[in-house]
Amino acid sequence: MVRKGRRTFFTSERIGLFIALAILSAVPLFIKKRAIVELIILANIYAVYVASWDILCGYTGQVSFGHALFVGGGAYTAALLNFYFKVPPLLTILIGGGVAALLGLIIGMPCLRLRGPYFALATFAAAGLPHGLTDVYWEITGGLDGLYGISPVWPTLNGKYYFSLLLTALCCGLIYVGGRSSRGLILKSIREDEIGAMASGINTTRYKLITFVISGFLAGVAGAFYSHNQLHVGPETLSINLSVLVIIMSVVGGIGTITGPISGAYLLTIFNEMLREWEEVRLLTYTAVVVLILLFVPKGVLPTLTDGIKQLIKRKGG
Amino acid sequence: MGAILEVQELTKYFGGLGAVRHVSFTLNEGEMLGIIGPNGAGKTTLFNLLTGFLKPSRGRISFKGESIVGLKPYDIVNRGIARTFQIVRPFHQLTALENVAISCLSKRAIGKAIGDQDVEEKAAALLESVGLSGKEGIFAKDLPHGDLKRLELARALAIEPELLLLDEPFAGLGLMETSSLSPLIQKLSQEGHSIIIIEHKLRELMKLVKRVITLHFGEKIADGTPDELSRNEKVIQAYLGKGGMTLATG
Repeated sequence: MVRKGRRTFFTSERIGLFIALAILSAVPLFIKKRAIVELIILANIYAVYVASWDILCGYTGQVSFGHALFVGGGAYTAALLNFYFKVPPLLTILIGGGVAALLGLIIGMPCLRLRGPYFALATFAAAGLPHGLTDVYWEITGGLDGLYGISPVWPTLNGKYYFSLLLTALCCGLIYVGGRSSRGLILKSIREDEIGAMASGINTTRYKLITFVISGFLAGVAGAFYSHNQLHVGPETLSINLSVLVIIMSVVGGIGTITGPISGAYLLTIFNEMLREWEEVRLLTYTAVVVLILLFVPKGVLPTLTDGIKQLIKRKGG
Repeated sequence: MGAILEVQELTKYFGGLGAVRHVSFTLNEGEMLGIIGPNGAGKTTLFNLLTGFLKPSRGRISFKGESIVGLKPYDIVNRGIARTFQIVRPFHQLTALENVAISCLSKRAIGKAIGDQDVEEKAAALLESVGLSGKEGIFAKDLPHGDLKRLELARALAIEPELLLLDEPFAGLGLMETSSLSPLIQKLSQEGHSIIIIEHKLRELMKLVKRVITLHFGEKIADGTPDELSRNEKVIQAYLGKGGMTLATG
């Protein structure tokens, strides 16, 4: 909102989103290879992880290194409820999101008093604790091996795929709409200058906390779905590696734009999988490509691409 | 008219340094007050205390009869005190319209029955009122300094404040820009806003205000009309210098 002359519903960005959604909807119709469909499901889940990170960090400027806390919180809640109490997946996914939101509230209240590297370190530490607890309470959590035998959300691959797509569309759609609303504008003002936002009468702490909770809920929902998708939960859902991966995907895609990080999730998930054929140089190539993108496309792949297309159209038109 | 702001014995220490010491004054509704003093006199610290960005070591601040000491800056804004900053603080990556819209979305402005759809119109009208019509879609980072000063004013006005604190509104502005901003502030005063202005450009300030407070080393050393101050020995020694009278009275 609040950008004069941009009231048309069909903006180039939205048309792009609809096309992307149409392509994703057609995946199971044209791709019959199970591994590829499973890969896109994984990318769908990552898309929610990064979008929920971006609304918190890209929009408010609070760089969290603890997003795995929400993902893992949701994943373990869903897995434990399903494994021990046979709670159906649809319910565990919702409860998983709720628990992650609660974690967001509990962690957010003290952490949001901090800024910059102090905030980053606090979130890093907050995510590290439950990771350690999975090992301490190994009899319940399965320790390093985790728990196997979690029920699937859907018995068929296509059903599972479309469920994942629906979940992704709902979660990312919610974040996208929120990010482009007046509330999203307030979050951006906090990122730009928190003192300036306060001087504009904005209760910055309240907005940051609400965003922390919403971000937690959505990441928790995706984490819970991940457990049911993998039929397994393990400490990797709470690891720092996951938190860092989410940040890398967001930065590569284009931090603070929602659509950018989502594209980053698909790009890097698929790219990483493509490199499996060259296992011995996979990590090196992956790292090199990420570093090159950060060096030469600092705004992120999607915003740079969009700007390039706009300039091209302008030149042709002029 | 009654007092809108009462400041009593306001004191702020940073360690052993007294940035503001025992400052007391009253501002009446609709009054425009100037604050002058050399650099480091405590003028901006005083604004930071009034707006909640700093907590006083001692003293009381009452706005419309209620204490505002200890309130968060946004709570103070939502009670009706808006401010601008000496060094402008725009949201660089947002457009001029969005910069103003943020203030329109504050609890105070929203509380005055402004729905989301009205925000854009209100922000555009405010930009027009400060002379930034046609620049709604320009990003703040691309606006010249003079426009940023106006943008700050529009953001403060979007709060619909009863008390406006302007921290060096003419700083960094050329002669033309200063002389065009001055009538705008005059107009705000005529509309009934209570205003406190910190300013070093005395000639412009004295045209606007009927009362001036002088701060020196955190203490109030004078409070009176521009004419009285231009003849006050303490003020001449501390700030105006020998040419003070000429400067003050133009």
